[in-house]
Amino acid sequence: MKAFFRILLHSVLVLAFLAAIELHAQDWVHTGTNLGNDRIRVAAADLKPVGADPQTPALKAVFDATLYSDLASAGIFDMVSKSLAPQATPGSPQEMNLAQWSAAPSNAAMVVFGALSANNGRLIVYGWLFDTRNTANPQVLGKQYNELASQDMARTVAHRFADEIIYRLGGGINGIAETKIYFVSSRTGTKEIWAMDYDGQNQHQVTHLGSISLSPRISPDNSRIAFSTLGREGWAIRMFSLDLGRPVGFPAGTAGGSNLSPAWSGDGSKIAFSSSRSGDSAIWVADASGGNLRKLTSFRGPDVAPCWNPRTNAQIAWVSGRTGLPQIYTMDIDGANIQRMTDGGYAVSPSWSPNGQALTFSWNRKYGPGDPGGQDIYYFDIASKRWLQLTHESGSNDYPSWAPDGRHIVFERTVGGHPQIWSMLADGTEQHQLTHAGNNQMPNWSWK
Amino acid sequence: MSLLEGGEELERELAPVEAREPVAAPLAGSLLLHGVLFGGLLLYGLLGSLFHHNLWGSPGSGGAIQVNLVSSAIPLPADQPPNQNVLSTETPSQAPAEPTPKAKEAVDEKAIPISGKQVKKPLAQTAPKTQQHQPQPQQNNRAQYGEQAGSSIARAVQQNGSSGPASITVGDFGSRFGYYVDGINRKMATSWYKPEVDPRTPKGARVYLTFTIRKDGSPTDVQVDRSSGSTTLDRSCQRGVQRVDTFGQLPSAYNSSTLKVSYYCEY
Repeated sequence: MKAFFRILLHSVLVLAFLAAIELHAQDWVHTGTNLGNDRIRVAAADLKPVGADPQTPALKAVFDATLYSDLASAGIFDMVSKSLAPQATPGSPQEMNLAQWSAAPSNAAMVVFGALSANNGRLIVYGWLFDTRNTANPQVLGKQYNELASQDMARTVAHRFADEIIYRLGGGINGIAETKIYFVSSRTGTKEIWAMDYDGQNQHQVTHLGSISLSPRISPDNSRIAFSTLGREGWAIRMFSLDLGRPVGFPAGTAGGSNLSPAWSGDGSKIAFSSSRSGDSAIWVADASGGNLRKLTSFRGPDVAPCWNPRTNAQIAWVSGRTGLPQIYTMDIDGANIQRMTDGGYAVSPSWSPNGQALTFSWNRKYGPGDPGGQDIYYFDIASKRWLQLTHESGSNDYPSWAPDGRHIVFERTVGGHPQIWSMLADGTEQHQLTHAGNNQMPNWSWK
Repeated sequence: MSLLEGGEELERELAPVEAREPVAAPLAGSLLLHGVLFGGLLLYGLLGSLFHHNLWGSPGSGGAIQVNLVSSAIPLPADQPPNQNVLSTETPSQAPAEPTPKAKEAVDEKAIPISGKQVKKPLAQTAPKTQQHQPQPQQNNRAQYGEQAGSSIARAVQQNGSSGPASITVGDFGSRFGYYVDGINRKMATSWYKPEVDPRTPKGARVYLTFTIRKDGSPTDVQVDRSSGSTTLDRSCQRGVQRVDTFGQLPSAYNSSTLKVSYYCEY
């Protein structure tokens, strides 16, 4: 019996020792600066159509175009032009010849490929991402999608696959291919809230209030839109539930005076807005349910357009006219630690970057008579108070809003009296017009 | 008649001016007018400088672009300047071969020693009197001009046998998930702010850090492994790592829960 226990004890000890080894087994990586920060050269091969379903070619065309445009607009890839791709279309890892893709003319570091088939009304997509320089273990990502066969679904699946690729290769930052942009459009005659995909596709009307609705702000969980609208008692903050498809109550936003420009905190628990219920327009904060209302600023002069630091949820940037022309300020959520950011000019519409390090806003640096200075979008580094002009000599630019990846900004540009929605990379490059019909204003990028 | 009168009139017009009227007043008026004209132009120029100026691109505060941000916090790849390296390879050329040792004098062991003759003792086999190899102290504060930081990562190590999880050996992360290592480099390049470093730091100074990446991609346990000699460089590199929220989830095919990283920042 004693011998049995001894053996048992020994085996337990050995097991514990092995487990400890297992726990400490971890790899080392040695690396440093100057070892490459160039854009990743990615080739997106056309998917291989499988089967003879008549829907397949159309779905494949939508998928290929969407995936390519998603990757190209991600801002981190150097895309291989489709005309430089090898002739053969691989549909599976067995058919993949990495040497063909890594060699000239495509010189791809990464290849995206796969197969698509439509079967009995189902769309089936296999997708892979391969590292061409790693011949031993080339697979970075393998995905399979099985959805209803429709053009919208093909686009959605392409967005999802693109986001997976961007997440893997973009350092853990989620892609934005599935995000939405909310904006104000007057194309039905009155200013209503509209929504569209991040690339301008799929534009549709959200509210039908028949009044004037402005400054939509989507909640972090994509369930509700807060906006200001002109009602019987003047400007009020209203709430629209996307789940229910109808307006829901927000009692804090309907008291007297003008209530404008709501802003969600990053955790979705609070809303800041400006209200003139106590005289001058000031910043107020309420819970998302509409209770627990309190006033943050009490200075002479208007305080408007608040926005939260989405990373800490403990600071607010806003526009104040206490010294004359509107300037950007920041403060803590208890109203303390007020700091002025801009040194002059006419600065409005702040939006705080997702990583909390920068603001973007619209600024006319040389505002005044005799000066035809432009209203342009600026990137402003909070720690150093240095800035970078993102738009130059093209229309009047306003209402910038960060994308959740911190790499894109959507904004409103007015050329010839017609405001339209544009998007660009956060360094000012790759500017694209997203809307063309009617007047479109005040875009807001969703949180995810 | 009218023609004659016209001729007379012309004659009067062509007559010397001083005979007809005084010249001083018109001359003064003309001078005054010109003076006012030039003065106006001068004043316009002076006043114009008070108002809008197209100072586009000038270094002063009135310029439109200020591009030298302290941080490159926009998570977008930055353009890298071309490498100024003149060396084609990092590997040093072969040193000349050591001289071959002199052939030993053959000693016939079987030979019977001649009595009375001094036996020539074979020289004792002493170890060659070379200095023992001393590891050279790394001089971190020395500028390393013209040296290219080559990639230390084997990107395409051919693994023998199946590529299944059974053949994974500890330490091949760089070859299996090269894209992830590239991702670390990209992320660090945007989060390390070089202007934070004291400009007196010699070019080429390197600080080596070690840190651990957790499964979710967040860095932890950031430590200076080998200091560069410049505290600002050490600290800026540490801050660069701490500024990163996530390097991205560790690859799911990677068995261990953490990854150790040795990273250097080179000024």
